[in-house]
Amino acid sequence: MNNVTQLISKYRQAPWRHQRQWIGLFLLVIVLVAMVAGIYLNVTAGASVAGREIQILKDDIIENQRFNHDLETHLAELTSIKSMHTQAEDLGFEPIRPEDITYVIVEGYIPPPPIDLSTNAALPAAPLIKTEYTQSLFDWAAQAFILSTARSGEQP
Amino acid sequence: MNTPHAWRYLSVQIFLVLLATAVIGQIIRIQSSEEAKAILDNTSQYSGEYRSYFPARGRIYDRSGYLLAGNRTAYEVGIDIRTVHEAGNANNIALAASMYLGLDYADALDEIQNPDSGLLYLVLASAVDSDIAENLMNLQELAASQPSSESLTGLHFQPTLQRSYPENDLAANILGFVTGDHRGYFGIEEKYNSVLSGVPVLVWIPSDPNRVNEWPEIPAGSDLILTIDREIQAMTEEILDDAMDTYGAESGTIVVMNPQTGEILAMATTLRMDPDNLDSYEDLFPEQTPYNWAISHPYEPGSVMKIYIMAAALDAGVVLPSTTFNDTGSITIGGATFRNWNGGAWGIQDMTGCLQHSLNVCLAWVATQLGVDNMYSYLQDFGFGHQTGVDLAWESPGRLKLPGDEDWHISDLATNSFGQGVTVTPLQMVMAASAIANEGQMVYPHMVYAVVQNGQQRNTETQIVGNPISARTAQTLSEMLVYSLENETSLALVPGYRLAGKTGTAQIPTEYGIYDPNVTNTSFIGWGPVDDPQFMVYVWIEEPSASIWGSEVAAPVFQQVVERLVVLMHIPPDYIRLQAANRGP
Repeated sequence: MNNVTQLISKYRQAPWRHQRQWIGLFLLVIVLVAMVAGIYLNVTAGASVAGREIQILKDDIIENQRFNHDLETHLAELTSIKSMHTQAEDLGFEPIRPEDITYVIVEGYIPPPPIDLSTNAALPAAPLIKTEYTQSLFDWAAQAFILSTARSGEQP
Repeated sequence: MNTPHAWRYLSVQIFLVLLATAVIGQIIRIQSSEEAKAILDNTSQYSGEYRSYFPARGRIYDRSGYLLAGNRTAYEVGIDIRTVHEAGNANNIALAASMYLGLDYADALDEIQNPDSGLLYLVLASAVDSDIAENLMNLQELAASQPSSESLTGLHFQPTLQRSYPENDLAANILGFVTGDHRGYFGIEEKYNSVLSGVPVLVWIPSDPNRVNEWPEIPAGSDLILTIDREIQAMTEEILDDAMDTYGAESGTIVVMNPQTGEILAMATTLRMDPDNLDSYEDLFPEQTPYNWAISHPYEPGSVMKIYIMAAALDAGVVLPSTTFNDTGSITIGGATFRNWNGGAWGIQDMTGCLQHSLNVCLAWVATQLGVDNMYSYLQDFGFGHQTGVDLAWESPGRLKLPGDEDWHISDLATNSFGQGVTVTPLQMVMAASAIANEGQMVYPHMVYAVVQNGQQRNTETQIVGNPISARTAQTLSEMLVYSLENETSLALVPGYRLAGKTGTAQIPTEYGIYDPNVTNTSFIGWGPVDDPQFMVYVWIEEPSASIWGSEVAAPVFQQVVERLVVLMHIPPDYIRLQAANRGP
């Protein structure tokens, strides 16, 4: 009891101790807020840079697609039927006449297949933006928990 | 606070609280003021922009994968009006626009200096060729390094994709064209406009990089593979152009189709424009001249029509190939008298002879044997009077007058039997004849072999649109046409190949409704090899001056086409083909 009385007495004699506690607590809050703000700023700045890069890449894709169209059309002009006929004539070729053709029966000949311009482009594309940039902290924690649970259940 | 100076601390505290309150109050006042709202509104236009996205237009290929219609970069050239006014370089820009873009200097200067109120961006020219635009860009760059009075600041270049046709006017009547507003006109471009163009959209593109995921994905238009073979198309166009000179004709059309599948291999017409040069359209096609005569310009076909009348009569059982008719040189139906093409009497003829000599009197008699109901029912089953449904824009149905129509008369039974008084398109004739070549099955003529969308190719299936006659009738008539061709129209024959065919010569009605005997439409339809038809060729030469007869004009053109067609299609002469078939697989 004496100790308590002494402590109260000391605080009455030196109130700055109490105030210093409050100041310390206030500074702690300030530091925590600054840390969170700093991290947020860092993440946001990183996301902005990534977003800007995506914008540039998208513009590049559009430009490349345009360039590809130009090249394809130019190639088609170079190999157009008039151009090919002119080149053939310049090289001394002339159109064949039916009476000039000798037909040979080739056993097992397989005629060329019909044209097929299909590609594998229909495969589902990978997500453009990684989930790390879009999921919330809670989503990330839940996903990590599910993954760790699933791994612990796997056979060694 | 029981210190002597407590009131000082209290005063400072109150002062600071009041100051903080005033600052916060001022912040709120500024944020919610009218000025702040105006600033927010003004700055919002810089948070992004609306952009019109025209997906790359789908390409068009021929059946071998050669590009017939592609895309190339062109530029929209415009100015930022505020920047130009601030820089005071309207003169420079107007001068550059007149030199490089072909604009009138005074008009351009007036537009730049006196734009519509509220206009921020002015388009000077669209679809500018990339070479011209690049020259202008270089000039702008050069001017930027010069004294400011020469600058071209404020001039903007927006690249876009424009249609381009690397084969120039090849198959132009089939393809159609695309205008600067990305819309297709005529042919494939119009018929498949929505498929080729994709879905143009106007979207808001945020400048904020954190909102990049809001950028839309715009799918490109689908590609088309046509049934056309560019080699065959070029060959038919070349032969047709030569025929115009040789026979002094007004116009011409050649259609080549596979009668078993309905795939159109070539469709040549004499009126063709370079679709890259849209300025020539009005000169070439004045006053709504049809763009593709093979589908849009019906005409009276003449004696080619006789094969359908004979097919109907054979199928209905009213005549047999051996049925005889005594041709006295004329026949009267409905009060009108009809004569043969040479005015002569051909005596007793069987049905093959009637076709071989193309006797109007005989076919008119066959029509009477067939009867009104039967004849028009068969002609409708053959598709006359209706569109074929071909996948090209602006197809005409032609005109088949029917009993009950105001202008139909019983004498039409006779005139229609030899192809007068009825209008058809070349493609209708080909589709109808496919039933004869293809054992009674009439195929749907089509231009698109496949659609390629998102990397997936979907091929067009062969469609049978009707069975107007039986397989037996078709075989019988084919044999009759082979015989009549081999014994009459030698100019159409191709050595080594067994072909079926029929000529046609039709007088053309004048503006007074009277037929002019000296002005004709000459036609020929034929197909082969008869035992396994791979091609059907229709030739129409309009108003030839060298001769008025189909047998002397259209038949030789058919022969020229087939002679080169069998080479391009790798069809050996019949004896080799049958020899190979007999060996088996």
